Amino acid sequence: MVTLAIAKQTLEDMLRRKILLILLIVAVAMIALGPSVGFLSPRESSAVLRSLGLAVILLAGLLITVLTGIQVIPTEIERRTIYTVLSKPVQRYEFVLGKFLGGLFTVFVMLASMGIVFLGVLRYQEGRFSPDMVMGVIMTFFQMMLLGALAIFFSTFATPVVNFFMSFGLFIVGNLSSVTESLLENKNVATRAVATLVHYAIPNFGNFNIQNKLIHPQVVIKNLNMFIMQNVAYAIIYSAVLLILAIIVFDRREV
Amino acid sequence: MAAAVSIQGLTKTYLDVWTKTEIRAVDRLNLEVEEGEVFGFLGRNGAGKTTTIKMLLGLIFPTEGTATVLGKPIGDIGVKGQISYLPEEAYFYEGMTGWDMLDFYARLFRISEPERSKRIQKALEDVYLDPSAWRRPLRGYSKGMRQRTGIAQALINDPKLLILDEPTSGLDPIAHAELRDIIANVGRQGKTVFLSSHQLPDVELTCSRVAIIHQGKLRTVGKTAELTSGDTVEIVYKGGDAALLEKIRKVVGAGEQSNGLGRVPGVAPKDTNPIVDLIRGAGAEIVSVAPHKRTLEEVFVDTVMKETGS
Amino acid sequence: MHQATRRKLLLALLPLAIAVVFTQSRIDPVVADMHRGVKTPFAGLSTEFILGPLLGMQQAVAGLLWVRADEFFHEGDYDAILPMVRMVTWLDPHNLDVYITGAWHLAYNFTDSSERSDRRYIPAAQRLLEEGDANNPTVYDIAFELGWQNTDKIKDYDRAYYWYKKCAEERKGADERGEMTKPVPMFVWHQLAHSLTRLGRIDESIDIWRKALAMSMKIVREDPKDYSKRNVRDSERHNLELMLKRKYSRYTHEIDWALDSKLPSTTDPNTGEPSARDLYVFKSAEEARQKQEQYRAVGQNPPALSVGQPRPPAVQPPWETAFDVRPTFTADRVLELKGQFNVGDGARVTIRLHDENWRPPQLKAFTFTIDQSVTLMQDQHSVRQGIWGRKIDMSKDPKMYSFTSDRYFLVFEFDPRGTSPFVQDRFGWSGEGMTDRKYLTVESQKTPPNRILRKVYRITRAQVLRRAPITEKDVFPADRYAELQRQTP
Ligand SMILES: Nc1ncnc2c1ncn2[C@@H]1O[C@H](COP(=O)(O)OP(=O)(O)O)[C@@H](O)[C@H]1O
Ligand SMILES: [Mg+2]
Repeated sequence: MVTLAIAKQTLEDMLRRKILLILLIVAVAMIALGPSVGFLSPRESSAVLRSLGLAVILLAGLLITVLTGIQVIPTEIERRTIYTVLSKPVQRYEFVLGKFLGGLFTVFVMLASMGIVFLGVLRYQEGRFSPDMVMGVIMTFFQMMLLGALAIFFSTFATPVVNFFMSFGLFIVGNLSSVTESLLENKNVATRAVATLVHYAIPNFGNFNIQNKLIHPQVVIKNLNMFIMQNVAYAIIYSAVLLILAIIVFDRREV
Repeated sequence: MAAAVSIQGLTKTYLDVWTKTEIRAVDRLNLEVEEGEVFGFLGRNGAGKTTTIKMLLGLIFPTEGTATVLGKPIGDIGVKGQISYLPEEAYFYEGMTGWDMLDFYARLFRISEPERSKRIQKALEDVYLDPSAWRRPLRGYSKGMRQRTGIAQALINDPKLLILDEPTSGLDPIAHAELRDIIANVGRQGKTVFLSSHQLPDVELTCSRVAIIHQGKLRTVGKTAELTSGDTVEIVYKGGDAALLEKIRKVVGAGEQSNGLGRVPGVAPKDTNPIVDLIRGAGAEIVSVAPHKRTLEEVFVDTVMKETGS
Repeated sequence: MHQATRRKLLLALLPLAIAVVFTQSRIDPVVADMHRGVKTPFAGLSTEFILGPLLGMQQAVAGLLWVRADEFFHEGDYDAILPMVRMVTWLDPHNLDVYITGAWHLAYNFTDSSERSDRRYIPAAQRLLEEGDANNPTVYDIAFELGWQNTDKIKDYDRAYYWYKKCAEERKGADERGEMTKPVPMFVWHQLAHSLTRLGRIDESIDIWRKALAMSMKIVREDPKDYSKRNVRDSERHNLELMLKRKYSRYTHEIDWALDSKLPSTTDPNTGEPSARDLYVFKSAEEARQKQEQYRAVGQNPPALSVGQPRPPAVQPPWETAFDVRPTFTADRVLELKGQFNVGDGARVTIRLHDENWRPPQLKAFTFTIDQSVTLMQDQHSVRQGIWGRKIDMSKDPKMYSFTSDRYFLVFEFDPRGTSPFVQDRFGWSGEGMTDRKYLTVESQKTPPNRILRKVYRITRAQVLRRAPITEKDVFPADRYAELQRQTP
């Protein structure tokens, strides 16, 4: 209940942030203007519209998640509101979890708003619903959940600016899993060992990108539901790891 | 009576990043605060008051030493439910209304409805916050209104122990006086108050006991009345001439005469009778022999000056 | 937090970390499969397009690049498009239209000042399509395009047949729900049949038409109101009928054949096939009966034959084509041709001038850079009233015709398989009805063998630059030329 109270307060606080609202408005405008880009063929039009919509949602979600994740805890310290919270019968882990959940709710609200507009635009443009696009938004949400947990973990010891670059940097590296994966077959044992470590240790953000499948019908994922469930499980388990680390670090943090 | 706060050898050192030297913000502090008293924790800016309080609340961790709060070690969650804290220059969630903020804190105390609403209402009334402001965002509050809301926030759980860190600093005189009354009121309700301040008149008026901390070290602790009660007397007489005054000055080294009244301050007990005899002998009339009362400010300045050696 | 709690939490990390590695190891192969063909987005990309791919937005960036490429196309900035095609296909190897449009662009849009294609780009176009097909092995679209380029541009009907067959038999299309379950469109089957016709494999072609017609009959039965589906069915019926008629008209001399247009056409309600009665008309019932006997005598089931006006068989070998041509360089790199060809109007002669050691390159991977030193000119000209002539000015396009080699082959060719049906009606699908005193070459490595006309000159750079005339002494044996062309360089 304490955790939820903190989450609720965090959500309300984040939703009052102008920067996030501006991001949301810009993203929604871009999604709505998607159909006005010139196209070559109906198939391309559909593909570009979808890939653009998903990309805008991903990009806006990314900024929203990072801005939220790096802020939620440091803002409390900076504004000294954390003193009143932590002097109450609130466990530090409850505080961390509450902040994480609040950030997650924020990201959810934002992604859901953009997703609904996106589906509306597709519906208007193509005259039918595209339920598969919901899957794309869901995958983005879980990808963002993992990124948010990462930013929260960093925020327990790094300043927001440093955190911004660390989170973004790891997101980029985590999207390049194909590079580390290709190194897994390297002949050099040392390279292979390092690559294996990097490949599995760094949160694999790239695996959540199913735009490929959603845009091109010929791309087949053998068991799509299984694939999505595995990715959701991955996001949850890895986030749990990051949150435990965050809790351990934050427990000794002087505020 | 049990100790509400008991501090043994509490020490906090910081490393100054610039000079690479160690700062002892709090230095082997020993302190006992009894249940039910309004305790004044005095010190100049930077004396270590806030640092001590943060350690008591588990916000930062002592370098050395231990403390118990309401009989339990620092950080005990059960105890946290029975204490409350108003930080120095408290900031709140600006977008929230006063009511919502109290609601949030009440939830952190795990107080559920309908009790929660009742408590919020009572706390806001107790601090005399204008009801028209209850549903307005804090962003539009004056400093005084914020501070009242801050106290209300600290009262929401009906605490046994209130820790207030310089609650009156930065307020205008009227808000200041009102807040002082609120605190005194809390004290009268039998709650323990741990009041950190450098506003000495406030402390003198509201606190039954005070401690003075300087450069992290405890310098003086005692009942306010005892600290301010001096061991000298002031003798006032009517009549007498310059020769009398001269004799008196020879004995105590002080004394003045104006408008027919003579005043001899700072007379030590051993000198009282000889001076009275002198006055009487000279045919003058004793008006009063009164024990001298120091202000807390004098005590404070004395204490601090003694330490700095000037 | 107690030390014990902390230790417990740290211990809990271990199974969680194992779970993370395990889950990821399950996901990775699926993702690798999904991203087959995606190149890591570093090589040659401008910075503005790097961030997107890094963040997992390859498809969107590719889409935007492609929209930009389209603008370049409309601005006529063709050279800018090729690198963009390369980038887009790297970023999003499933964007079919990029391969198709890119390859079309390569094969058709680079021309000299007289709108002659720069055929040096064709191998690249083919490789690009093949790469796209390998990255999208379930869809028909790119395989179809490969078939079409081989038919229309390259006139390599064997390869066209290979791709159309793959397309028709192994590929699928996307349905409304985005699943790859839809059968390929009927035009894929039509092209497959046409490619067989071009190869002279007439019976197989007829079989495909029959098969297509049966499929369309079923489609129409399921959805009788769809006008376009009925249209497709009717065109198949028409094609089948025409193929049958041509086959008998050209090759079955014993059978008298009547003007089909005057007869009402009836069709088999089950198979949709035009009945044989409409195809072969005999002067009398007796004659028809005799013909049926002949069939039975050789152990075949006789067709139902009908009676009408007789007509002589169309293909009557040998037909002397008297094919010849005289090339002259009338100015530096300006070639003038005068030719004769005893054939119906509209038959086309292919003219080719290329470096002596040029062979169709075997590209291993797609690259949009070509060897600028290669000279390869190809043109066509149609015959009117037995003669033809052409002036080919190669002096204005030194980038396409650099003439850096010392020796060249100048080739003139007529291939009955690539020509129009009305010429084929005279010569047959494989040139059976044609002969030529000088330049007939039989491509016997093909089945059935193909009879083509080919005259080859081997000339020097000096002759191209008009420092020496071309004479009949420069004529080079056509078989020898074909042999050289088959050898890999
Ligand atoms: N986080 C910190 N890092 C370094 N020095 C600190 C820190 N917090 C407090 N101090 C120092 O400790 C001393 C005590 O500070 P504080 O407890 O805030 O004083 P007070 O509350 O009595 O004004 C001051 O000299 C202050 O500069
Ligand atoms: Mg302070």
